[in-house]
Amino acid sequence: MARKMIRVLLVEDEEINRVVARAALKAAGGGDVVDEAENGEVAVQRVRDAAAPYDLVLMDKQMPVMDGHEATRRIRGMGVTTPIVAVSSDGLPADVDAFITAGADDFTSKPLSKEKLGVILAKFRLA
Amino acid sequence: MPTIGFAFEESIVSTPRLPIGRCTLLPLLDPSRMSLERIVSRVTSNQSRKLAVGKGYLDEQFCQVEDLQDEASPNFVEEVVTLFFKDSGRLMSNIEQALEKYPRDFNRWDTYMQQLKGSCSSIGASRMKNECMSFRDSCGQGNVEGCMRSFQKVKREHAVLRQKLESYFQLLRQAGPAGAATRPVM
Repeated sequence: MARKMIRVLLVEDEEINRVVARAALKAAGGGDVVDEAENGEVAVQRVRDAAAPYDLVLMDKQMPVMDGHEATRRIRGMGVTTPIVAVSSDGLPADVDAFITAGADDFTSKPLSKEKLGVILAKFRLA
Repeated sequence: MPTIGFAFEESIVSTPRLPIGRCTLLPLLDPSRMSLERIVSRVTSNQSRKLAVGKGYLDEQFCQVEDLQDEASPNFVEEVVTLFFKDSGRLMSNIEQALEKYPRDFNRWDTYMQQLKGSCSSIGASRMKNECMSFRDSCGQGNVEGCMRSFQKVKREHAVLRQKLESYFQLLRQAGPAGAATRPVM
């Protein structure tokens, strides 16, 4: 049986972080389709307009226009149940709590690596 | 057999080594192996990378980035590093302007520095990242002088890192791809 294509939405404002995350996702086996959004507002749009639902959203915290907390809230408000994993370099308990309260399923710290993404993909049965 | 005053990387070529004094040079028994100059370049580039990691300029994340390089993306590391210096140059310019135009706007300064810190983390630029964190600590304390001092250190670390990585990639380019087939120069 052919493996299902994994569709990921990577929400991150800094290009270098997107480049590394994309390569790490591919190396971890989850980079079949990777769409990118440079802020929360674009992320909400991508989720709303996607031809097929995403299997995973990786959501940065601090972004211009709309931050990760707000974008997560809005995506959940649309009734979307795709796993959302918050990504932040701070990792303070208050940050993690705020993301979970907004509707994120998990949290991981920056920088993203093949190993961290492997754990996330396995957790959500996407590996 | 010439001697060179530093250790070598075993992964460069897989032929057995001949210990010579305090250093070792792998013999060129196979004409398909790299030339002597290319081996020296590759050893030097690895040593250069090890020194950068050993002295704390780069951490494990840089190795993670290197691991992402493959045949489909043979220049991935250099592309990421180039992108880092492009981004970090822009971010540092933003910070410099903000320090001048928005006195005591610690929130703004902190926001910009957090972005720079994030970029540093992505490539494992640990010393530079630590100075970014010092700057943010100073922002949290409302300490203008501390911010100014830290920013100078950030700029210094940035310049040193650029120099080290430029040397590293120059050596890598001289070495060529590992295991490339060339006639050895004896």
